[in-house]
Amino acid sequence: MSLRFLKEFFLNVPTVNDILVPETLLKKRKTCADAAAKATAQKVELRKASIYFNAKLSKRRELFKRAAKYDAEYKSAALNEIRLRRQAKAEGNYYVPAQEKLVFVVRIRGINNIAPKPRKVLQLLRLLQINNGVFLRLNKATSEMLQLIQPYVTYGYPNMKTIRGLIYKRGYAKVNKQRIPISDNAVIEKSLGKFNIICVEDLIHEIATVGPHFKQASNFLWPFKLSNPNNMWHSRKFLHFIEGGDTGNRENFINNLVQSMN
Amino acid sequence: MSAARPVLNVYAECGKTVSATVPLPAVFKAPIRPDIVGFVHTNMAKNKRQAYAVADNAGEQTSAESWGTGRAVARIPRVNGSGTHRAGQAAFGNMCRGGRMFAPTKTWRKWHVKTNLNQKRFATASALAASALPSLVMARGHRVEKIEEVPLVVADSMEKLTKTKQAVALLKSLNAYSDVVKVSNSRKLRAGQGKLRNRRHRQRRGPLVIYNEDNGLVKAFRNLPGLELVNVRRLNLLQLAPGGHLGRFIIWTQSAIALLDELYGTYEAPATLKKDYVLPAHIMTNPDVARLINSDEIQSVVRPAGNKHHKRPFTQKKNPLKNQGVMNRLNPYAQVLRRAELVKSEKAAAGKVTKVQKKRGASTAASKKFLETLHSA
Repeated sequence: MSLRFLKEFFLNVPTVNDILVPETLLKKRKTCADAAAKATAQKVELRKASIYFNAKLSKRRELFKRAAKYDAEYKSAALNEIRLRRQAKAEGNYYVPAQEKLVFVVRIRGINNIAPKPRKVLQLLRLLQINNGVFLRLNKATSEMLQLIQPYVTYGYPNMKTIRGLIYKRGYAKVNKQRIPISDNAVIEKSLGKFNIICVEDLIHEIATVGPHFKQASNFLWPFKLSNPNNMWHSRKFLHFIEGGDTGNRENFINNLVQSMN
Repeated sequence: MSAARPVLNVYAECGKTVSATVPLPAVFKAPIRPDIVGFVHTNMAKNKRQAYAVADNAGEQTSAESWGTGRAVARIPRVNGSGTHRAGQAAFGNMCRGGRMFAPTKTWRKWHVKTNLNQKRFATASALAASALPSLVMARGHRVEKIEEVPLVVADSMEKLTKTKQAVALLKSLNAYSDVVKVSNSRKLRAGQGKLRNRRHRQRRGPLVIYNEDNGLVKAFRNLPGLELVNVRRLNLLQLAPGGHLGRFIIWTQSAIALLDELYGTYEAPATLKKDYVLPAHIMTNPDVARLINSDEIQSVVRPAGNKHHKRPFTQKKNPLKNQGVMNRLNPYAQVLRRAELVKSEKAAAGKVTKVQKKRGASTAASKKFLETLHSA
């Protein structure tokens, strides 16, 4: 360091008051302070009005009530079945349970060498990939379709555990033609709110009981992409389940299979 | 441009005291455009080249002819005659030994490059402006940590120096001598064939001294390694920005720097010593962006700023069947179910729940009858 510079530095040491704050910094501090004050005032207002807070809370309460209602519904439905069976047995009658309304279809076969008609049906059912699964309403039309694609799929009647497991673990939604995970009820409410389906439990209920908006609910769900099961395939998959293979209707045994593919 | 121009101190020959002041010439406020300087420098640097070429008859001084097909040899022209190794050897092709090269270099290659006059002047103006920024001068490698001021102006008595001893004393008093020392320390043998082509040594560039009138100055300073001298009327971009790099360390004499306003003009008046020349305009007249943003004119029409801290976005799907937090988010009733589960498992562990044995009711008459008919058949 040169002598002159050192002399200047040590004899004229500037104090805090000597240093002038640049104008731009002063201006910036002022605008920042103003903006911060405004933001806190707004926050206080919101808190006071509590509109935001209340809306969220009331929605949570509503969801709770619905889920409780459905839980009671499922329990009573199960108990009812049992009651009817017992009643029939006691009277010496036969209890014929209602025909199944809901079926879960899983594509078993890959994409090569599929004849055109079954190919088209698989496309219509959105089973475009091996181990893809969809929920399907059972009626004359869909049963006929299932007959056509029977050597390429396996299907059966899912129970509550299977349905819940699928939607919670592998539930993705079709939002704006994109596959969006169901991370929050808002995702469901945005698309299906108009059908009074605003949470996951609503969705599960609609699927399980095949409600009036089953089509919209199941179409909202992206086809489930399942893994291969561990030791659940027979050594020859492409025989009918009845023959010792895996294709076709396996009624309640679908639950075991899907729970191991989930 | 600005209302009052800053003022440069002129240092006396002793180097310490300030003998006079000079207003800053407007050239030092010209826009600094390294792209233009680079472009002009690459063009100007080509103007001192000497032509080189291969001899025009090289490789062609044979009367070779191809033997054609049918002789079990390649069809390349071969040297006629016999009695020597050379006979029958391939000739003429660039692939042949002793043949002509591919595309023999010619002397009429375009060696020099013409640049627009205005571009050349823009480049020199930029280079001068860059020489006024100590950061650029230091970045270029000059040892100017200790000099008093940049641009460095010395009184006109410097032009009358005759002895190199005096020149060294002046530079030392200005604290500019370390730049010259740098040059003499950097003198090394050049790598490569340049050694044998009269370019034996390489060394750094030192300060550039710009003067108005030579009254012995050049003879005094010219033996100092790396130091260059140039008249202010003949400024050369190759010296102001060597290698196309801005920020040469320049030592001005007072009358030289005073002449710059006439040479380049100011932003108010055009140049008098250059025909039809006005200093180049800046793209941004006020480059202080922070000041612009915080000015009242802009702040009054700007919308309020967004949130500083944003909600963390959703990036990872978590399995609600495993992650209780996510499950509660999706289904508030799940808490109740979980609690019931936990209570049940606690009770079972504590042995409070015993399996109730169902009392078997008497079989009804209907079922008994059914069994009888079944077994009778």
